[in-house]
Amino acid sequence: MADSKETIATTYRLRYKKGDQIFKQNDFGISIYKIVSGKVLIFRECEDLEVPIAILGNGSIIGEMIFFLKATEVRSASARALEDSEVEVSHPKELFKEYEAGAPILKLMARQALNRLKRMNGFIDRLIVNEQENSQGLTSSLNLWKSHRRFYRKKVNLACKYIVKTRLSGFNATLDGVIKNISMTGLGLEIDPRNESNIPHEIGEVFQVETILPNAREVKVSCTLVRSSKGRGCISLGMTYVELSDDTRKTLGFFLLPA
Amino acid sequence: MPIDPVVYEYIASEVVCPANEVIIEEGSRGDWVYVVLEGHVKVKKRTQKGLVVIDTLSEGEIFGEIAFLEGENADRSATVMAAEVPVRLGILDKELLIKHYSAMSPTLRAIIKSLAVKVRETTTRICAALVAAS
Repeated sequence: MADSKETIATTYRLRYKKGDQIFKQNDFGISIYKIVSGKVLIFRECEDLEVPIAILGNGSIIGEMIFFLKATEVRSASARALEDSEVEVSHPKELFKEYEAGAPILKLMARQALNRLKRMNGFIDRLIVNEQENSQGLTSSLNLWKSHRRFYRKKVNLACKYIVKTRLSGFNATLDGVIKNISMTGLGLEIDPRNESNIPHEIGEVFQVETILPNAREVKVSCTLVRSSKGRGCISLGMTYVELSDDTRKTLGFFLLPA
Repeated sequence: MPIDPVVYEYIASEVVCPANEVIIEEGSRGDWVYVVLEGHVKVKKRTQKGLVVIDTLSEGEIFGEIAFLEGENADRSATVMAAEVPVRLGILDKELLIKHYSAMSPTLRAIIKSLAVKVRETTTRICAALVAAS
């Protein structure tokens, strides 16, 4: 870990009591923190849930993502003292200069690692939202569409086409399935077991699913496979959306409004 | 993504891996860093329910960097294997990478290492969540 003598003159120390918030997700900030003593919880806030990411102790650095983002984005997670803690806070101005002057290959590696971390944080949020939705029965508490209405996971029986959305040549065949339920966060799909024998359906794979809703609106979504279970004569797949366009969100939101 | 021209300066050798061949095995030791020059690789994590695909990397994307950036003989955080078609890889000049990385101040190295550690830990959490949801 870093030697405290290395840090620049704008470094100072702060003490936090157990339970104190050190920084908050979605806040703007530029400082980097090094834990000198105590324990700090890093967590993501999604809806009303706090999702622990890591518990860090002496010598660990927190808030470093903002450094690589050059403070152009908000903090991606919150930090709270789990016990009385002392942290060293640094303004990274000089480090920025050093980083910019550093080897481009290392900056490229750091940038790719950062992008992966950001993608994974988004993925964690979607999983949590999905889990929250399922644990609350059929009702979603999500406000994914800005009307702030509530939506349901709807039981449906919709024929659909889907493809594996990898960039591999030779695996772009269109397959058939039936969507059995659909929500603002994902869908449940039943497929013929022969589909799986033709093309691997591995957890984590991304698929593009296309269907036409009963109201004649077309929906095309990218989904990540998060669950697969074999049933009688079929395979049930659980998928969460990778991303919804505004149009798709509105189309789905309208369709899923309570009758 | 297109291959960043800077990568070419570091490619020490090239290798073609047959389809589905394991390039890096999770848990093993090693700090070679690779770049995909042609084709795709799949990144997988071990779980209670077998290997789970967590990412697919294509041309221009670097892998193996997490163990390198963490240093101190860190073990490999994931398995990387060639996808369903052969993949051409560039192996980056490790000595040159180490030279550049060592030239950074300990503080800057610690910040980069911290990023790498978080990628590893978050990957593990996602796999646990995927398995729990399946």
